[in-house]
Amino acid sequence: MSRNAKLQAEQLNVLRGGEEVLSGVSFDVASGEVYALLGGNGAGKSTTLAAFLGFLPVASGRVLVNGRDVGRDLIATRRAIAYLPEATALYEHLDARENLDYFLQLAGVVRVESDIEIALDRVSLAHEARGLQLRGYSKGMRQKVAIALAILRDTEILLLDEPTSGLDPTAIDEFHDLVRGLADVGKAILMVTHDVYGACQVADRIGLLRSGKLVAQFAAPAGGRIETETVHRAFSAKTNP
Amino acid sequence: MKRVLVIAAAEWRYWLRSRLVLGGALLIAALLMATTVLTTLRMQGETAERTQYQSKAETAFLSQPDRHPHRMVHYGHYVFRTPAPLALFDPGLDPVTGQSIFLEGHRQNTAMFAASGASADLDGLSLLSPAMVYQLFAPLLVILLGHGLVAREREAATLATLLAQGTPGRVVLAGKALALLSIMVVLLIPLGLGAGFAVLKGEQLLAAGALMIAYLLYLVIWGALALLASALIRNRAAVLATLATLWIALTLLLPAVAVSSAANTAPMAGKLEDDLAMLTELRKLGDGHNANDPAFAQLRADLLAKYGVQRVEDLPVNLRGVVAQFSETKLTAALNAYAKARMAAETRQAAALSVFGWVTPTLALSEASRAVSATDLAHHHRFLLEAENLRYAFVQSLNQIHAQKLAYADDIRRSGDPAAERRTRVDAANWQLLDRFRFQPDAAETRIKQARPQLLMLGVWSVLLMVAGFWLGGRLKP
Repeated sequence: MSRNAKLQAEQLNVLRGGEEVLSGVSFDVASGEVYALLGGNGAGKSTTLAAFLGFLPVASGRVLVNGRDVGRDLIATRRAIAYLPEATALYEHLDARENLDYFLQLAGVVRVESDIEIALDRVSLAHEARGLQLRGYSKGMRQKVAIALAILRDTEILLLDEPTSGLDPTAIDEFHDLVRGLADVGKAILMVTHDVYGACQVADRIGLLRSGKLVAQFAAPAGGRIETETVHRAFSAKTNP
Repeated sequence: MKRVLVIAAAEWRYWLRSRLVLGGALLIAALLMATTVLTTLRMQGETAERTQYQSKAETAFLSQPDRHPHRMVHYGHYVFRTPAPLALFDPGLDPVTGQSIFLEGHRQNTAMFAASGASADLDGLSLLSPAMVYQLFAPLLVILLGHGLVAREREAATLATLLAQGTPGRVVLAGKALALLSIMVVLLIPLGLGAGFAVLKGEQLLAAGALMIAYLLYLVIWGALALLASALIRNRAAVLATLATLWIALTLLLPAVAVSSAANTAPMAGKLEDDLAMLTELRKLGDGHNANDPAFAQLRADLLAKYGVQRVEDLPVNLRGVVAQFSETKLTAALNAYAKARMAAETRQAAALSVFGWVTPTLALSEASRAVSATDLAHHHRFLLEAENLRYAFVQSLNQIHAQKLAYADDIRRSGDPAAERRTRVDAANWQLLDRFRFQPDAAETRIKQARPQLLMLGVWSVLLMVAGFWLGGRLKP
């Protein structure tokens, strides 16, 4: 593992209820790179993210963020990461601005009102929606608020859990553009998804997880994209490629 | 610290925007205010009434005309226990132990209850004091507000977002705890107002402060329980069910079990049983109204020998008065022995009950509250003792007048000889021997000392739960 790696998993093993849910998983994500962890339900994708956030204990192996073991300094690790959970978990009784303001205060990030408006402009959240409580938002709108939070946090690392599930095709395209843009300015992005097409569109590299094991990795050729057909074939195969 | 405040403020914002929470809070607040106002008015009325009755009883005794002193012994006198100022918050044993006693010769009457002010009182609803609302219902509000503190965030997955911002679990719990603590402070406002009013009515600030601290500790315990359950149990409905079960166990079941257990651990005879045994013993002491009762033969012989005379008519003192004095002394000693044994048994039972404060904070608080409010068993016992001291003093003073100021010859003839009867009447100025009776609660320091074990229990409960919260905060996971 090398290449200015921001995220590293080294022979990662995680147990849940005595069952091994991740087994010997190793990969890394460098600055400016989008790494998509692909897999079906129960493959261990979200567990991998949870391990990077220190939400789950590591049975053996290591997870490193910015070269530092996650377990050693949990708070510093989390401060270095912007995390978008699958359910875009934000507060329904707060509006977009209140949500952002609250989480930024907790992250210790100082942002003025105009910064928040700029971030919301960047994710194209309609002005008239910004003062409404999130309980009336669509999944796509919530996702935009969550991404605005990631932008405002301005961390070097982003962890995205199924970020495009439930979004319409236009919103997915917009989202991919945004993710690409963030990678282009040097962010290290680890995205877990079961959307093969989306992963191939946006990722520089793809890791295929099956039953807690990283069974294949694919890298995009210079200036090109990972071939969807190849990944799809591997993803659909009953046995490991 | 800033993050703790931010989380606490966010929790307040959630509560204020949630109608259910707001409704529950307003309901409990209304109940607290209503019971505080009603109990304050009731106890104010009781205080004024009993003070007035006490003065009237004293005036009635002092204004009696010239009489035979033994008629005054039986005319008797009433004493009233005026409620302590903090009784407006916690009437404690006041409604169940009786607040007035009729004092007369040869007997120790039990405390009686003041007449009910309204028939509605008879259904017991007026017993719902602010103390009881705090002890039973305030925890429900704490549960209502506290059960979702962490569980709600976990269910909505916002806990993951929260922790992912680099907010330590302990900070999250501290923020939630601070929000809940601020609710408790708001909840204590009616108590603060009541305590302030009590201070204006003569209560010591120290006692009022101790009472507020005891209730704050109690609410802190419930808040900590709610927060711990919310952090430990993943499902919000399960958290609520657990806390509701805990509430039933700690506020209703365990105190009832504790009372039964204390009654078994430190059993005591029933009042009727005691009274029958006492009556049998008293009969052996002789009838103090009859100087010829064989029980006083020795006294008579001793008196005749002491004064070197052959006949009781020649004694320089009235034998009947001396017998009355002697009989009252013996009888009071026997009565006191029973009363002391009963009080000791009651105290033993109360002590056996107190131990359960380690099991249920509701019991610890109710005992601390009564002790600090001067409405506990110790104060009731002191009222009985002071009333008895007064009874014994005025009865014996009258007996002494009987022995020294009345001629024996007149005394034995007075029922058939109007002139002798007139001579056995002593001047009404003698009735001034009656001391004024004003029951005063112990000093605040004494009351707090009495409540110290229960305050310690509440403190230990709070500290243990806070330590558990600190431990859990370090392991908080989404």
